Amino acid sequence: MISTIFANLHYFVAILLFLIGFHTMLTHSNLIKKIIGMNIMETSVFLLFISVGYVRGGNAPIIDDQISAYINPLPSALILTGIVVGVSLTAFALAMVIKIYEYYGTVNTDEIMRLRDGEE
Amino acid sequence: MIHLPLMLVVFYLAMAFITPLLGRLKKFSSRYFGVAVSAAGLLIVGATAFHVFDAGPFRYFPGNWASPVGIEIVVDEITVLLQLTIAVIGFLVSVYSVDDLDREIDERMHNWFYVIYFLMMAALNGLVMSFDLFNIFVFTEIGTLTACAMVAIKSKRVCLRAAINYLILSTLGSGMILMGIALIYMVTGHLNIGAVAQVLPEATEAFTWNVRIALSLFVVGFGIKSALFPLHLWLPDAHSSAPTPSSALLSGVVLKVFIVVIGRIVFQMFGVELFVQIPIPLVILTLATMGIFLGSLFAITQTDIKRMLAYSSVAQVGYIFMGIALVSARGATGGLLHIFNHAVMKSLLFTAAGAIIYKTGIRKIDDLNGIGYKMPLTMAAFGVGALSMVGIPGTSGFFSKLWLALGALDAGQPFFVLVIIISSLLNSVYYLPIIVRAFFGGGSGKFTMDQLPWKMLLPLVILAAINLYFGILPGSLVRLAEQAAAIWLH
Repeated sequence: MISTIFANLHYFVAILLFLIGFHTMLTHSNLIKKIIGMNIMETSVFLLFISVGYVRGGNAPIIDDQISAYINPLPSALILTGIVVGVSLTAFALAMVIKIYEYYGTVNTDEIMRLRDGEE
Repeated sequence: MIHLPLMLVVFYLAMAFITPLLGRLKKFSSRYFGVAVSAAGLLIVGATAFHVFDAGPFRYFPGNWASPVGIEIVVDEITVLLQLTIAVIGFLVSVYSVDDLDREIDERMHNWFYVIYFLMMAALNGLVMSFDLFNIFVFTEIGTLTACAMVAIKSKRVCLRAAINYLILSTLGSGMILMGIALIYMVTGHLNIGAVAQVLPEATEAFTWNVRIALSLFVVGFGIKSALFPLHLWLPDAHSSAPTPSSALLSGVVLKVFIVVIGRIVFQMFGVELFVQIPIPLVILTLATMGIFLGSLFAITQTDIKRMLAYSSVAQVGYIFMGIALVSARGATGGLLHIFNHAVMKSLLFTAAGAIIYKTGIRKIDDLNGIGYKMPLTMAAFGVGALSMVGIPGTSGFFSKLWLALGALDAGQPFFVLVIIISSLLNSVYYLPIIVRAFFGGGSGKFTMDQLPWKMLLPLVILAAINLYFGILPGSLVRLAEQAAAIWLH
């Protein structure tokens, strides 16, 4: 049992990080913390993706006669795109948080919900 | 000819890129530019559609790399149906927004509105034709970001609050979708939907839970983005506070595209057997039914007309999900029909409501007494949309409900016929009083012409005409939807 967990440690860590991020996004009322949770969640998937492509003892995929095993380069390439997507999401979310702070004077969703009465 | 599908996406992306540059010119009007670009997009989509009707569906490989290695773009009847919906609604809304934008959005932001609009069009068109999981993810993200930006662009605090809620819930969905893609890639080694579908039966035997969890993650992830009840929490705020052109696009088009992606992934990748085996259709049917009833009930209690329309979207999305989850050919036809019909009627209702707000500033339903005498054409168009929502014969809404009911009978679940009938009654409870109020609730009793700019009136009239046309002669549309549904279910 223990050895199985250790052999597949990266999967467990990825799932754990995913759940931590998910939990943070849903339960915290601070918008910045929500965004941090969003980043943790995305990073966990990146980790899972990269670890899927890793081959033990493999080398970087540059063809050479002396090397017999290469890692799978596709996940790395995909995750590069994924990181770009994640960065733009984070940037957009942070920009909106700045705006929200300007309008509401707080970044706490509970307080924002309380302030909504009397608008509209 | 054959490069058209890729050109469409590239064209919109290029236009998004040059709009801010053109904005530096003195005499540049982004609003007319938006109309021109949408018209060009409509032409490209129309040419693609004619090609598909003529020579049948085709596949396109960018850079000529064949399918497991390269990226695959598939242009079939589903793509055509959705792209036509997107292009027609997009074009009419862009005509409508020429005059409406002034009231809704700061003058400085007009160029940026069109940048977001073009990016969104590129993403939506890409979503309905890409056959590669990672492409779908990237387009989903672009679509989500631009949809949030379309809500946030109106610099009011209500909009910002709605947009950040939308963004956070959508990002949760994106995380789940990416996780699902990772799980599928882990067990199959492919990202192309067709290639995955080939090796998935074997993989399901070896890694049952991996595949099941991936399927659930996809359904929930896209369910958030398409506002499947109870994941709709972001929708009412976002769609009601957004500027009217955005509301029409978001409610009319954006939600549907994600439902179609669910359909593609479920039927063309996982296969019907697995879908039925873990009772996801049952779950979706239950949630859709609850969405249909509760969405309508919430809509009844609303006093703000745009909020009422937003809640009505929750109910209508329930119908489309029901069509997919019935797992019968006629049910799926009904769902796909409703995608087009609801896109037309919801954008019609939103633009009509927007026109009322533009002219009179009235947002409260109670204040609409006698508005039919001041704005007869607008309210007539609104009436067509409202009757279509209820499903009166002669409007297009009737036929999608008819096909859904037939699909429910085919699937051996007559209970859902009852659901459709009761929900139609509920729809009439909140749509008909508005028409009654408008024409019989007092007022001068003398009709005066609507005094709206013609650019706002024309899209309304055209949308109402499309609705009536397909309400009386639905043949061509039904055939297209049937062919599209046949790709998923035989």
